[in-house]
Amino acid sequence: MADLGRYLYAISRGLAESQVASMTGLRDAPLEVVRHRELGAVVSNVELTEFGEEGLRRNLEDLRWLEEVARKHDDVVHAVAALGPTAPLRLATICTDDDAVRRRLDESYAALVSVLDRVEGRLEWSVKLIVPATVRASSPAQSSDSTESGAAYLMRKKREDHERASRSAHVAALAGSVHGQLSEASVASRRLPAQDARLTGFEGDMVLNGAYLVEADDATQFEARVSALQSEHPDCQVSVSGPWPPYSFAMLEQ
Amino acid sequence: MASSLAAPNQGPTDDIALADLLDRLLGTGIVLDGDIIISLAGVDLVQVRLRALISSVRAGDAVGGERGPA
Repeated sequence: MADLGRYLYAISRGLAESQVASMTGLRDAPLEVVRHRELGAVVSNVELTEFGEEGLRRNLEDLRWLEEVARKHDDVVHAVAALGPTAPLRLATICTDDDAVRRRLDESYAALVSVLDRVEGRLEWSVKLIVPATVRASSPAQSSDSTESGAAYLMRKKREDHERASRSAHVAALAGSVHGQLSEASVASRRLPAQDARLTGFEGDMVLNGAYLVEADDATQFEARVSALQSEHPDCQVSVSGPWPPYSFAMLEQ
Repeated sequence: MASSLAAPNQGPTDDIALADLLDRLLGTGIVLDGDIIISLAGVDLVQVRLRALISSVRAGDAVGGERGPA
């Protein structure tokens, strides 16, 4: 007989329980809505053997588990976001019962309302800029050339350092410019930390990992802007994904 | 319609979508302190976990088989 907890996926506004009644969450548990004033927390039961503190600590080390839970969490958020203004919760927020859920909604009521106001009718896009991997300084063969004098070596070192510095300044300016243009085409923007190439498989340096909040009505124009940027920078890769529910713009300001 | 929730993302590959997903689910989104606190709100812990996870993704490459129905 396992103890159960309430797993929270998202906070929505004006959501009726009947709208999610046919949907299931983690481990196929039915979705439910815990209401407080006009807010509704979309929840489902989870077993605390799996989602309790000890279970989570163990399971988060398991990428298969993490991916499965993350995808289901995201599926639920996508589905709820299609029904009305939705603020997605960070992964693995678990309360012991509905009273505890309502207490959170009450404590953060004003902040949640302001987040919902901010994201209503808007979608998030992810745009990344990947530049070719740093090319090694030219003519490495010469470096082992024993005839190179000390002075020549220092000169070459200095030139290489200079080239590296000017390249990284160029790349930073490019990333800033692309981010600036996309920010103008959106209502809010954020730069997230660059992703690890081992996780993404991208070849090259991710110099921009941007998140952009776009009016749903402007989505086509935003995508066109991204395509144009790709055309303007054929030597770089402009990778876009979305639309996402507005995860990156659902941060509480407290 | 609501029950066909599989694979909503249109990322270039599953791995990239996973990276995007983890960016968002671990790094952003509403943080409410639940009753079960696993310090997920702490970004440092997230970074540590991601590092550990990343090494297992590329090494094992077993995750690629986990696809939902198309």
